[in-house]
Amino acid sequence: MKDNLKQIIINLEQDLKNATKEADILNLKAKYLGKKSELNNYLSNLKEMTSEEKKVNGPLLNQIKKELENLVNRKLEEITNQETITFDDTKPVARKFGSLHPITIVAKEVTDILKRMGFTVVSGPEMESEYYNFEALNIPRTHPARDMQDTYWLDNGYLLRTHTSPNQVRAMQNYGVPLRVCAPGRCFRNEDLDACHENTFFQLEGMVIDKDISISNLIYVMESMLREIFQMDVKVRLRPGFFPFTEPSFELDCSCLICKGTGCPTCKNTGWLELCPCGMIHPNVLKMSDIDPEVYTGFAFGLGLTRLAMMKYKINDIRVLNNGDLRELKDFEIE
Amino acid sequence: MLISCNRLKKYIKDSDQIDWTSIWDLFTIRTAEVEGLKIYGKDMKDVVIAEITSCENHPTKEKYHILKVSDGTKEYSILCGAPNVRKGLKAPLVKVGGMVSGIEIAEKKIAGVQSEGMLCAMDELGIGAGHEGIMELPSDAPLGMDLKEYLPIEDIIVEIDNKSLTNRPDLWGHYGIAREIAAITKHELLDLELLEVENNQEDLDIVIKDTENCNRYCGLRVEELKNNKTPYEMQIFLHYAGMRSISLFVDLTNFVMLELGTPMHAFDNRVVKSIVVEKAKENTTFQTLDHIERKLTEDMLMIQNGQEYFGIAGVMGGLESEIESDTDAIFIESANFDATSIRKTATLLGLRTEASARYEKALDPNLALTALKRFLFLLYKENPMMKITSNLTDIYPNPISEKKIELKKERLRVYMNYEMPSTEVHEILESLGFHVSEEEDKYQIIVPTYRATKDITMSTDIIEELARMHGYENFEMIPLKLDLTFKSHENMWDEEYKVKRYLATAFQLSEVHSYLWYDSNLLNKTEVEKIGVKLLEKSENNILRDDLSFSLLPIVKRNLQNLSECNIFEIGTVIQKEENHRHLSIILANDQNKLEESYYKAKQIIESLFKTLKGIPITYQTKKEFDYEIEEVSKGILVNQECIGYLKVFKNKIANYIGKKKSIVAVEIDFDQFHRLAKQTKEFKSANKYPTVNLDYTILISLDTKYKALEDVLKEFKNSMIFSYQLIDIYHDEKEKKVTIRYTVGSEEKTLEGKELNDFKIKFMDHIRKNGFEIME
Repeated sequence: MKDNLKQIIINLEQDLKNATKEADILNLKAKYLGKKSELNNYLSNLKEMTSEEKKVNGPLLNQIKKELENLVNRKLEEITNQETITFDDTKPVARKFGSLHPITIVAKEVTDILKRMGFTVVSGPEMESEYYNFEALNIPRTHPARDMQDTYWLDNGYLLRTHTSPNQVRAMQNYGVPLRVCAPGRCFRNEDLDACHENTFFQLEGMVIDKDISISNLIYVMESMLREIFQMDVKVRLRPGFFPFTEPSFELDCSCLICKGTGCPTCKNTGWLELCPCGMIHPNVLKMSDIDPEVYTGFAFGLGLTRLAMMKYKINDIRVLNNGDLRELKDFEIE
Repeated sequence: MLISCNRLKKYIKDSDQIDWTSIWDLFTIRTAEVEGLKIYGKDMKDVVIAEITSCENHPTKEKYHILKVSDGTKEYSILCGAPNVRKGLKAPLVKVGGMVSGIEIAEKKIAGVQSEGMLCAMDELGIGAGHEGIMELPSDAPLGMDLKEYLPIEDIIVEIDNKSLTNRPDLWGHYGIAREIAAITKHELLDLELLEVENNQEDLDIVIKDTENCNRYCGLRVEELKNNKTPYEMQIFLHYAGMRSISLFVDLTNFVMLELGTPMHAFDNRVVKSIVVEKAKENTTFQTLDHIERKLTEDMLMIQNGQEYFGIAGVMGGLESEIESDTDAIFIESANFDATSIRKTATLLGLRTEASARYEKALDPNLALTALKRFLFLLYKENPMMKITSNLTDIYPNPISEKKIELKKERLRVYMNYEMPSTEVHEILESLGFHVSEEEDKYQIIVPTYRATKDITMSTDIIEELARMHGYENFEMIPLKLDLTFKSHENMWDEEYKVKRYLATAFQLSEVHSYLWYDSNLLNKTEVEKIGVKLLEKSENNILRDDLSFSLLPIVKRNLQNLSECNIFEIGTVIQKEENHRHLSIILANDQNKLEESYYKAKQIIESLFKTLKGIPITYQTKKEFDYEIEEVSKGILVNQECIGYLKVFKNKIANYIGKKKSIVAVEIDFDQFHRLAKQTKEFKSANKYPTVNLDYTILISLDTKYKALEDVLKEFKNSMIFSYQLIDIYHDEKEKKVTIRYTVGSEEKTLEGKELNDFKIKFMDHIRKNGFEIME
C-alpha cells in the first residue's frame, strides 16, 4: 500500500506538470482527492481495518492526503500568480474634462500671489452707486474722468461700475485700517465691441493702508507681484500719471516680456509695457472713509485681468472671452 | 502734442550741453510719456541757396522756363515749371546727386532740355505745405550756402502723449516743456522776450458779463502793419508742429499758443466794434470759421462784437472775424475761460479744437497777459513801424490768488522713505518755479500760478514734484512689514473658485462669461418679456438680467451650432428687485430624447454640490420660477424649507429656438445664500465590526406610479437592522415597472443569523403588500 500511495503522489506530480489551466487542476484535484479517487478508496477501507492497522495506516493516509492537497494548492497558487497579459495595451483613451474661464485662472494666480504678501480677497457689487464709483474716490461731478470713463448709467439712478476701485471704499468702510486687500471683479464701459475693445472686462484692485507706507513699498509689491505672475525676472518703472484717487499717481511699466527690454514690436521698441496704473492713496479718499491721512498712508493699484489673460494665453481677440464658444474655452481646462 | 527741440533750445541756457535725443527717456519717467521721436532734415542733401541769373521761356512748352542758376561758383542749366521764376530770384537748388524728401535728384532731359538739378517749393523740401511756386529766399541769403545751415531744417520732433498731459496745463506749450527739461538737466531757463506797453491811450470797449466763466480778457489794437509775411524759420516750426502757416498775424497767434500753451485770437480790426463776453441765447445759431452753422445753447460762452456773435469763446472764431489779407490793423485777444464751461461747450458742439483742448485743462489766467506781450514782441520784430493804438485793456474780474502750501518734513520722509536734504528740496522746487522757505520741521511753499489752477493743491502734490524729480528709479524697494493683527475677511471669492473648480472637475462642465444684460434678440424671438433695471440711452440689449440661466441661452445657441450638447456654468451677477445678487447657473443642453438623462444629471450635480461642499442635504418642491419653464418638472431647491435655487426645464418653445429638437435643463442657485450656509461637519463613525448583508427586492408598480409613491412606503418601514437602502434599477416592461431596491442590513453587536434575515424578509414583504404593491419572491 505504501508503495501504491507513493506512486499516487508521483502520478499527481506528473499530471500537474502538464496542467496549465485552473480547470485542469481542479479536475486533477477531483481525480486524486475526490470521492472516486484511489486515496478515498483507501480511506473508506480504513473502517474495516483492525485497530492496529488503523494506528499505522490512518496517519499515513492523512499525511499522503495533505501532501496531495499541498501539491494541488501550490500548483493553483502558481497559476493564479502567473502573469498572462492578453489585452491590447496601446489603445487611446478619451479624456473627460471640464474647463475654467481663463479670467478665473489668471485671477486665482494673482490673488494667490498677493495672499502670500498678506492680502485678503474682497469683492463688491457690479451695479454700483455714484458715490462709491466716483464721489468717494475724489472724482467730483464736474471731473473730466466722468466723461473719460464712458459710464453705463441705469434708470434707477445707479450705474455699472467702471472700475474695481469702489472696492477700495467698501474695504475701508468694512474693515478699517490697517488694510491689505485685493479685489478682482468685472467692470463695464460703454464701448463699441471690436478685437481690442469690450464693454465688459475684468480688473483687479489692490490696496494697502498702514502707518508709514511709502512709494518704496509700492514699488516692491508691484515688482514682486509681476515677477511671480510672469515667472520672469521683470523690472518695473514708474512714470508720473494722473488719477483723481491717488496722489502721486503713477503709470507702472513692466520690462517687455518678449524682448526683455531691448525693444521689439510688442513694446513699440520702448522696451516697456504699460501695465498698471497705481499711486499713493489720495488724502481725500482716506478722509472720506474716515481714515486720518495725517496718520495713515497707503497705495493702490489696478491690474487689467482681461489684458493679463490675453497676454498669458496670447489671445488676440478680446471677444473670445465673452462669447462662450466652447471650442475655444474648453482648451483652457482647469490648469 | 508735437515738440520741436530747436524751439526748446531757445529757452534754455547752454542747451547744447543737453543730448536732445536721449533726454526724452528721462522726460518720460520724470514728466510725461513720449510716444515717439522723429529726426527732420536727414532726408535733405546738397540743397543750396542759388540765384536765377537768366530766365527764358521754353520754345514749345508754355509753362516751362529754361533757367540759368548760379550757386556762386558754378552755373547750372535748369528746366522749371513754377510760375514765380524770374531773374534775380534766390531759391533753394537741389544739385544733381542731392536729395529732397528722401528722393535723389538725377540729371535728366525734360522737354528736350538737359536739367542739372531742381528748384524746390516748400512742400517738396518737406518744410511746409506751400506748392504755389518755388520757395523765394530773401535777397540777402548767402549764395551757395547749404539750406540746412541757413534755415533750422534739422530738428528733432518729439511726440508727447496728450493723455499724460491732462493734468498739466503748463505743459501745453514749448516753454513749459523747456522748464521741465531745464529742471531735469539742471540748466537755467531763460526768460521770454516780451514787449511792454505804455498804457497812455484809451481803453478798448471790452465787457465781461459772465464773470464766472470768463476769468480774464486782454485786448489790444495795433495798426500800420505792413508786413504780414511769416518768417521761414517760424513757418518751418509751425509745419513741424503740425500747423499750417497762413499769414503772420494768424501764425503768431498759433506760435504763441505753441510756445506758452494759451490760445489767442487776432481779429481784423475793421470789423471790431465792442467786445462783450456773455452766454449765448438758447436756440440761436452761429457760423464758425469752418463754414458750419452751429446750434447754440445757453450753456455756451460767446464773444460778441456789438450785438453780433463774433466767436465761440475758447473754441472757435466766426467767419466774420477772419483776417483778410489786405488788412493792416488787428485786434488781439488773449483771454482765459473756465475749463469746465469750455469742456461742456466743446462736448455739446462735438467740436474740439487746439484752443478748447487747452482751455479745458484750466490754464493760468496770468499767461493771457504774458502771451499778449510775447505776441507784440514777435509782431514788432517783423513790423518795426507798427503803431499800438489802444491801451492794453486787461479785464480781470477773478485774479488768481497766491497759493501757499505747507509741507511737513516728516510727511515727505514717510512718502519717500528717504530723508531728502533741504538743498535738494530747494533745488527741485525752485527749478520748477516754486518759492520755498524752510522752517524747522516744515517747508512753506508758494505755487507758481501756472501750476496752481489745477494740479497742485495740497502737500502730496508737492511730494509728487519732489519724488518724480528725485527719480522713481532711485527709490529703494522695501517690502511691507509683517503685521499679524488678526483681521476678519470675506471668502466669497474663494468659495466661488472652489465651486467652479468642483463643477469643472467632478462634472466636466465648462465655465463661460456672459453679459449682464439680456440679448434683445433672444427676448424678441422667444417672446419673453422682461421688466428690469434698464441701461440709459440704449435701445438694445438694455435690460439687466434677473435670470442668469435664461441670459446664458445665446451662448448655448451658439454652441449648439457646432456641438450636439453643451454643458456650461457661470457664477455671475443678476439684478433682482433692484439689488445685486450672485447666482450660479448650470446649463445642460442636449437632444430632446436625452431630457431625462440631463434632468437626472442636474439633480446629481445639485445634490453633490450641497452634500460634498456643504454637508447639507436638500429637498425639492415642484415649483417654477418663470413662465418659460415646464411647471411639472421644474423644482425649487430647498435647504431647511427655504428655497435657495431652482431646477429648471425650459419649455420646448424656448429649447427649439436655441437648438432644434433640443432640451435644456438648468440649475440656478442663489450663490449669496449658498455662501452663507455654514459647512456641516460630520462626526467620525468607526466602521461596523460585523459584516453587513445586501438584500435586493424587486417590487412591481404600475406604469403611471412614480417612484416617490413607493419611496413614501419604504420610508415607513422601520427596522433596527436597516443601515441604508437605495434604488438599484427601474425596469419598464409593457405592463408594469419593476423597481429593484437594495437594503443593507446588519447589527453593531453581532453577525446576523439566517433566521433574523428571514424574519426581516417576511416583515418587509408584508409591509410592501399591505401597502398595495406586489413584490417578487
